[in-house]
Amino acid sequence: MKTNRRDLLKAAAAAGALGAVWPLVGDLSPAQAVEAAGLLGAEYDPAPFTLGVASGDPTPTGFVLWTRLAPEPLAAEQALPEVVEVKWVVAEDRDLRRVVARGTAPASATLGHSVHVSVDGLRDGRQYWYAFSALGRRSRLGRTRTAPAGPVSRVRFASANCQAFHGGYYAAHRGIAREDIDFVVHLGDYIYEGGPVSGPRGNGTAVDFTLGDYRRRHALYKGDRSLREAHAAHPWFLTWDDHEVVDNYSGTGGGAPFMQRRAAAYQAWYENMPHRDDSETALPDPEIHRVRRWGDLLELTVLDLRSYRSAQNLPDGTILGARQKDWLKRGVDRAPDSWHCWVNSIMLNQLRGRPGGDFMFTDQWDGFLAEREEVLTHVHRSGLEDLVVITGDWHSAFVGDVRTDFDEPSSPVVGTEFTAHSISSNAYSPAWNAANGPRMGAANPHLQYFEGNRYGYDLYEVTPERWTTSMRVVQDLQDPVSPVTTLTAFHVDRGKAGAYEDPATKNSPAQYRRG
Amino acid sequence: MNLIVNGDAEAGPGGTADPVARVTGWRVVEGAPALVGYDVGQGYPTAADPGPPRRGSRFFSGGESPRTVLVQDVELPAAGRTGRGRVDAGHVRFTVSAWLGGYAAQEDGARLSVEFRDAAGTPVALAVLGPVTSGERQGRTGLVERSATAALPPGARTARVLLVLTRTGTGTSNDGYADAISLTLNATGGKP
Repeated sequence: MKTNRRDLLKAAAAAGALGAVWPLVGDLSPAQAVEAAGLLGAEYDPAPFTLGVASGDPTPTGFVLWTRLAPEPLAAEQALPEVVEVKWVVAEDRDLRRVVARGTAPASATLGHSVHVSVDGLRDGRQYWYAFSALGRRSRLGRTRTAPAGPVSRVRFASANCQAFHGGYYAAHRGIAREDIDFVVHLGDYIYEGGPVSGPRGNGTAVDFTLGDYRRRHALYKGDRSLREAHAAHPWFLTWDDHEVVDNYSGTGGGAPFMQRRAAAYQAWYENMPHRDDSETALPDPEIHRVRRWGDLLELTVLDLRSYRSAQNLPDGTILGARQKDWLKRGVDRAPDSWHCWVNSIMLNQLRGRPGGDFMFTDQWDGFLAEREEVLTHVHRSGLEDLVVITGDWHSAFVGDVRTDFDEPSSPVVGTEFTAHSISSNAYSPAWNAANGPRMGAANPHLQYFEGNRYGYDLYEVTPERWTTSMRVVQDLQDPVSPVTTLTAFHVDRGKAGAYEDPATKNSPAQYRRG
Repeated sequence: MNLIVNGDAEAGPGGTADPVARVTGWRVVEGAPALVGYDVGQGYPTAADPGPPRRGSRFFSGGESPRTVLVQDVELPAAGRTGRGRVDAGHVRFTVSAWLGGYAAQEDGARLSVEFRDAAGTPVALAVLGPVTSGERQGRTGLVERSATAALPPGARTARVLLVLTRTGTGTSNDGYADAISLTLNATGGKP
């Protein structure tokens, strides 16, 4: 019988071999770290493009291309010249013959030898292929697309969030790579900064503080070939949550040691992401929030709920920061007649743990009550329709009505929030979910659905008439090539606030459904 | 030649611990800085505290805002020994330096970063200095020097200088301090 990689990894996991050496412990050489990562299923592209390629922030005229030269992916700094010239090419065909743009870009050691190329002047609504070359080698081929302009009859995209490397294999990203979609949205917790962690894919101890630490963490995560495949297959829009820096942090108010750490984490994030940063500020503080349009069909509002937030539970607290809040409200005022999707890293809807009980987590919008009420009331008063909020962080799936006042069931429904399963970050136990699903349902009348026993991603299909969210789940988190299936789907009809479950899957397993 | 205008806080309004609305050479993006005189006292750094050897009369502080942000955009030289031709040939290095500090054992801080951009506005190099922790100041009020030098990548055309002064805790004064902020370019051989 032929033994394949999947069988080897499963056998290793069963034998307890995984996690014997965590690749990011301090006393390993970069080569030893790669070897240790290999035992956890990491395998890198050929040097120097070990971390693959990516594209992001598509507009009707272009996108950003990304790569990072890392011959030793798990080294904090690369043994390369201070500046390396990287060639790039964009073509209309996968053989890169019908070239539409090409150029060179410098990869500087000061930015981890990363390259971000802003390609412009392309045709809207088109697929393109791209590649980089440097040091006599060519990268893998990437595929991307520009956003359409004008009338659009359909857009399909996926969201990913919470992808703890130790939590399991990225079969979900493998699934995303193979979906027929226009783009991917990452909702945050792309990495986990460390601490004592354990899971099916290793037991980690190292904690990130320095730029080198965070660089190594990102490189470990990109060692999963499925993540690199998903990046190479589609353009991505990006936001972040807390674990790109540290658990539950607020971006403001910290002392100098924390501000050093935050700057290191932010810089490493930029170095490793296809993020366009041409804002009014500057690195190492990238500007995340932005509005993008997919023709006349979809307006995507990407929010940054970490950089500008205050502490939780303050009467005048803010999760958006004053300027982002004003920007969001102005955007609501000027919104076109289309679907409106807020890319929202952490739960917007109220969530009590039991009837009459406290909020479960005030790190989410529940810790910023006045601002949430202000924003949602503004949405209602402005007459904004067709609002869908897509959310990560929770490691479980929720569907709920967005109301202006969650304690008043007769208050207006202004949209629907879909909170997605995690890619691989551990969820609560099945027993917890079984016990608490009904409790949360009883405590939160706006909650329609809860399912916490699975992992995967959400897939969205949007037409002028209907929004559909399909929960795509992996069969086995410990299987790198696990099949992906649709657990259930919810629809929202245009012009009518509120979601309903697809009749074909409404009997699928879940721990709460509103009657 | 220092390419940063008023990196020493000597020009324009200021001289006391009171915040100012405008700063010569800089855009105030958030909060309001104070350009504090070394003779103000009241716990602020003085001529006798650690700081630049030639410190002039004033330094930047965060004023009374929890976060004060100043930005300055610098056009890199078009011609000369550090002009575009030399940059694009890989014959120019940059040095960013600043004196950064804070108050006693508090962790208010100042961070200076310089992002170099190509003609399209895409970042091509970055230098980040600070913030300096109280431990790095040995718990003393004052400023310590930080610097970074690296090759200026081909295509670099502008630099965005970002000074972020942050307050921690619930006090009024934002005691992130900065002075003697400098950006210089140096030719590194090859014919001009």
